[in-house]
Amino acid sequence: MSSRDTHAEVAILVRQTLALPESEPILPQQLFFYDLGFTSMDLLDLLFRLEQHFQIEIPEGTIYHLARGDLAEAQFAEDAVLTEAGRARLMKLLYDTPPELFPARIHATTLPRFCTVGAIVRLVDHKLAERTCSN
Amino acid sequence: MRSICIDVEKRRASAEAFIPADHPLFADHFPGSPLLPGSLMLELAAQLSGPLAEEFAKTQVGIERWAILGMVRDARFLQPVFLPAHLELSAEIARADSFAIKTNVMVAVNGDRVMQAQLVMMMIETSAEWAQAIEARNNRLARWKDAS
Repeated sequence: MSSRDTHAEVAILVRQTLALPESEPILPQQLFFYDLGFTSMDLLDLLFRLEQHFQIEIPEGTIYHLARGDLAEAQFAEDAVLTEAGRARLMKLLYDTPPELFPARIHATTLPRFCTVGAIVRLVDHKLAERTCSN
Repeated sequence: MRSICIDVEKRRASAEAFIPADHPLFADHFPGSPLLPGSLMLELAAQLSGPLAEEFAKTQVGIERWAILGMVRDARFLQPVFLPAHLELSAEIARADSFAIKTNVMVAVNGDRVMQAQLVMMMIETSAEWAQAIEARNNRLARWKDAS
């Protein structure tokens, strides 16, 4: 599945989550919490919709683990707050989020707040690719 | 609610409830033909999903939280439930995160499914002002468990 197809499907799910009309554009660079006015409940609702629609699993901590990569846990976060190295890893993963939005102190539970629509499309593509590889 | 049975190993719970026809709540719903409102069926299902979610979080995840109904998804009211009625309720955990537990719930009357939905129970940390409510709920839950 191409990234463009995924974006179109994710956009539909985002509109359903927020009860937006079809005419409402959903753009890759839009931030869920800052631009689209998402609440944490909206994000949870979207997560369920993504899992159901794409038949994938997005467990708790997915963005955390993707950002951490092969970095040791202790190097990535201390007391659930990202280290400087952890913060850099997160910014690399979420490269289309304006850098100024990342505060100096980022709690591990808040990572989805920094996601753009494009980042979620990439996450879905990643999960779809994982599923293809495992089949 | 008359009885409740929770099996965290199997991630599910069941309960029985009896709803009388003469409760003042149903006086206008509807005069002469009391019908159980769907919202009350959802509330009963949440009263089953909550303790299931809390016990699952405590025993399987190792966290002690208070479950509050946060989201109702894909609710279907399949048949009208005329009162009085004996309800059979079931709940099964479909997804568990530390902050939210999603359950698939079902209500049946005489073996016929009358309602199904997904409930998302938000798992919140409790504070001192919740103590009285939690104690009352726990006492109620103990009675329901004893009756099962």
